[in-house]
Amino acid sequence: MIHMNDVMKVYDNGAVALNHVNVDIKKGEFVFLVGPSGAGKSTFIKMLFREVLPSSGILTVNGRDVIRMPNREVPYLRRSLGVIFQDYRLLPDKTVYENIAFAMQVIEAPRRMMQRNVNNVLDIVGLRDKYKCFPNQLSGGEQQRVAIARAIVNSPAIVIADEPTGNLDPDTSWGIMDIFKSINASGTTIVMATHDKTIVDAMQKRVIAIENGEIVRDEARGGYGYEN
Amino acid sequence: MKISTLEYFIREVFNSLKRNNWMSVASIGTVAVSLFIFGMFLMLVMNMNKMVESLESQVQIKVYLEEDFSRDDARDLEVDLKKMQGVESVTFVPKEEAMEKFKERLGDQKTLLEALDETNPLPDSFEVTLVQPEMVKTAAENIERLEGVEMAKYGQDVMEHLFDITRLIRIFGFALMFVLALATLFIIANTIRLTVFARRKEIAIMKYVGATDWFIRWPFVLEGMVMGLLGSLIASVILRFSYAGITAKIYNTLAFLPLIPEYPFLNYVTLVVIIGGMIMGAIGSAVSIKRFLKV
Ligand SMILES: Nc1ncnc2c1ncn2[C@@H]1O[C@H](COP(=O)(O)OP(=O)(O)OP(=O)(O)O)[C@@H](O)[C@H]1O
Ligand SMILES: [Mg+2]
Repeated sequence: MIHMNDVMKVYDNGAVALNHVNVDIKKGEFVFLVGPSGAGKSTFIKMLFREVLPSSGILTVNGRDVIRMPNREVPYLRRSLGVIFQDYRLLPDKTVYENIAFAMQVIEAPRRMMQRNVNNVLDIVGLRDKYKCFPNQLSGGEQQRVAIARAIVNSPAIVIADEPTGNLDPDTSWGIMDIFKSINASGTTIVMATHDKTIVDAMQKRVIAIENGEIVRDEARGGYGYEN
Repeated sequence: MKISTLEYFIREVFNSLKRNNWMSVASIGTVAVSLFIFGMFLMLVMNMNKMVESLESQVQIKVYLEEDFSRDDARDLEVDLKKMQGVESVTFVPKEEAMEKFKERLGDQKTLLEALDETNPLPDSFEVTLVQPEMVKTAAENIERLEGVEMAKYGQDVMEHLFDITRLIRIFGFALMFVLALATLFIIANTIRLTVFARRKEIAIMKYVGATDWFIRWPFVLEGMVMGLLGSLIASVILRFSYAGITAKIYNTLAFLPLIPEYPFLNYVTLVVIIGGMIMGAIGSAVSIKRFLKV
């Protein structure tokens, strides 16, 4: 699924965000990325959907060579991924339903699949009765659930999330994690960067800890490992 | 392209035009004005060309022969003249014919000629026209050097000035049209830039979920083309009425000016303005979205 071999990322200003990173993530895994602020977690995540281009090394995602891939193929890489951000990134002038359907529309998915898929993911995130609402009529947790629905509506092989619970209270965060669990249970790989110690400790999933751009720990079943 | 995608694009374009209501109206108006001026200059330059052409086609060199030059020699000279580079036609005008014409021109004042007492002081001559009227000066000089030629005359000063002026107007006209086309492009680019900027979040999300650059670009390019189209339609209507009005005025007062007739000329101008407007609109929006596609 995801393979990194000796990956480096040096930003234009000379900041070394990732240093000799080697990682293999297999299909169906649930992976937490942890580490102090500025460690390189977001950089790691952004490289997976090529918002950030690695400076050197080998990076393959879903069998695609992300580094040597021509720009015109990037959209197709992204269609095999679902991306979720801390700040939801919903369109304020579109309803819940439209926000999700939008993701199918812009990749020209067949129209007859649209209604079925959108309803399906609305069920998964438990927002079926709010499909007509606009984002500003929803709580933060609900907005994040819409974002998750949008991320999975095209059935991606990997879901990538950068601090998806960063703006949410503990109870709401658990609601989000339950959704991730069920997505993961259906075989989707999940990579999630987080600062949430409670969640990581309780889930006992694979934990990759990054400090100063280097992987310092990679446990199949681990805890957060830092005092918050 | 899928039907549903096309529908989506069209809906996007009209939503966007509606959303930026006043902005759209203002830029369509500005585009119309600049395309109108563009069209006016296009018509002016084309009419100038036509006038110059008809003047140029009248340019001829009068070649007067020496008095003691025989008609046989003149026939040889005619052959030589026809062989000269750039010469289109050569017509021999015997002095008797020249006298007749002269008399005709004098009309009532024919009596003046009685003093000549039936002698004919006019020489034999040739009328020479050229393929390229601009060459008239050199051609005349060359002809003057030929044996038996007294002098070769054409409207020296007038022609030289005419060529200078028309060249200037052509260059100025084309430069101005170029600038106006750029202005149209800039106006549309600027409006589209604002709509693109207002929707940069949407564009970023489209990129995250895997929309291709062309899918993102199309609605904006179409929007630019629609603005160009609407602007050019307005400009064309005004242009048609203006040209009809101006030509009518000119026919009444300066009937001798060889203007281009309204049809089909106006149709061509309309076509150029509309296609030009749409192309400028498309390029303008494509330029302004470029920066926002880098996500
Ligand atoms: N666009 C950029 N240009 C230059 N340097 C950057 C850029 N983005 C990140 N960095 C630097 O790269 C390093 C890693 O940043 P990154 O955002 O990956 O950290 P992070 O682990 O996500 O931190 P946080 O937990 O605070 O989100 C930091 O030193 C940061 O300053
Ligand atoms: Mg981060």
